[in-house]
Amino acid sequence: MTALRSFVARRLLLGVVQTVAVVLLVFTLTEALPGDAAVALAGDDPDPARIAAIREAMHLDRPAWERLGDWAMGLLHGDLGTSLASGRPVSQYIADGFGPTLLLAALTVAVLVPVGFGLGVLAARHEGRLVDRLISSVTLAVYAVPEFALGVLLVTVFALQLGWLPPTAVGFGTDLLGHPAALMLPVLVLLSRPVCSLARLMRAGMIDALASPYVSQARRYGVTGARIRYAHALPNALAPATQQLARTIDWLLSGVIVVEALYVIPGLGTVLLNAVAERDVPVVQGLAVVFGVLTVALNLGADLVAHRLAPRAGVAA
Amino acid sequence: MKKPRMGRFAFGLAVIAVPLALALLGPALAGDPGPRTASFTVGEGHWLGTDFVGRDVWLQVLHGGRPVVLTALAATTLAYLVALPVGLVSALTHRRWLEELLMRPLDVLLAVPSLLLILLAATVFSPGVAGLALLVALVNVPDAARLVRAAAAEAAARPAVEALRMQGETWWRMAVGYVGRSILRPLAADAGTRLTGVLYLVATAAFLGVGVAPDAADWAVMVDRNRTGLFVQPWAVVVPALLIVALTMGTNLLFDAALAGDRRSGRPRGTERPETTETLRNRAGSEARP
Repeated sequence: MTALRSFVARRLLLGVVQTVAVVLLVFTLTEALPGDAAVALAGDDPDPARIAAIREAMHLDRPAWERLGDWAMGLLHGDLGTSLASGRPVSQYIADGFGPTLLLAALTVAVLVPVGFGLGVLAARHEGRLVDRLISSVTLAVYAVPEFALGVLLVTVFALQLGWLPPTAVGFGTDLLGHPAALMLPVLVLLSRPVCSLARLMRAGMIDALASPYVSQARRYGVTGARIRYAHALPNALAPATQQLARTIDWLLSGVIVVEALYVIPGLGTVLLNAVAERDVPVVQGLAVVFGVLTVALNLGADLVAHRLAPRAGVAA
Repeated sequence: MKKPRMGRFAFGLAVIAVPLALALLGPALAGDPGPRTASFTVGEGHWLGTDFVGRDVWLQVLHGGRPVVLTALAATTLAYLVALPVGLVSALTHRRWLEELLMRPLDVLLAVPSLLLILLAATVFSPGVAGLALLVALVNVPDAARLVRAAAAEAAARPAVEALRMQGETWWRMAVGYVGRSILRPLAADAGTRLTGVLYLVATAAFLGVGVAPDAADWAVMVDRNRTGLFVQPWAVVVPALLIVALTMGTNLLFDAALAGDRRSGRPRGTERPETTETLRNRAGSEARP
């Protein structure tokens, strides 16, 4: 029990350190620019009035550590800053884009978990046979393909050639749930990489677990095959897969950015890309902190769940 | 077991052959660009039609592979140039603080999604091709260094290293001559998966407009810029997209087939050497990303 508690404590501490580090990293990457940040941010055609406005808005006359302190205090109070381009609070940008992104992510994860785990278990059950070879090769091949390339090809086939699905979500606004056809391709593209990695990991985990001494022992006792598979081997195979599930959030995030750009969905990814194009530093910073902290929290949760599923596996802290 | 492996190897080779040949030889085969004509035309003397500013798509395809492949190769090499010394030093040192100092900051970098980091950097400065390679290398260093350290720590714990140490061999001889050589196989397996991941990141960043000129001859940029004319002139999008799919798929299939068998030995989930994988599992923990 003490071992568990100390693991949880160490992992929580790492999570806190990572959160602080994300905030520091976002700040240093975007603000500790060599030279005059205002000139750099004003773009290719610097207008003196805009430079002055940026300098004023970002308080560039003050030392960097003071600005960092102010910004971090603001973050603690839930104040993410104000956009340079429009003067609106960053939290409003996030509120605007949150709905579509959450919908996409939730739909993807809801399909990802059963399909990914299911394919992995299915392949492991038929190890070496046709089903396994098919699942293994397809997941290996699709796993490497960038979403945008797969996405445009799917649009070409399903929207252009067959005319079954709309090519983009243009015209549906944020009411995507009312137009399920427009969601088909985005979710399919978002699923492509995480499903493959999850299925491959699940397959390897199941095969490892089924070859372990405790499974042989259970077989010798005459425990039925299904019981061995789902009551004994599955929990042990689930532990690494749960962690991988959290780590695919990294991919899901890049996937969301690409898919929203590709299918013109007004979510957080689109907000982020627009802010990057406009060099709207506070908006990018705010979104980066939100995404970064979300990633840290999900990984933390996954490690704790994995530790609960298989306490003896040395989960790193 | 030998036969399906050769089959998979041949299949991977076949998939990657066309995009790789185009990327390496394309610029040499491409002739004079010729005058620009109307945008998004099909036919009219252009085999694959014209693109969004009226350039010949086939010529753009011939030129567009090289930047993707070269940037990815450069980024992978750069990542290992940093990850190898960091991983080797932290695996071989007996000074705990040095190991912590080298590895802990990398744990933190692992927490930030790769594409987000690249976009953050792209907000404040406009990276060129070299900048993009550097950024992609940077986001790959933590994971690569972690893997090098896990593999090297296992080799460094062997009696042979102890014997070398007692004989007073130089650090260089131990680190490079023995430990470095014995981690070559897990390293090769990792390089394959890493190159695939780097190709993905380089292409995706270029698609989002990071590190490339808006009218660059680059397969990813072609997909992005010619999307507006998809319904008029699909070839300008479909051909580069197919080439990217074949390139990334082929890389992954080829490395998987070539390294089948010892692919998993460098990962914490291997099965063939129980006593060493246990060490790897403890050292690498769960954080090594497959």
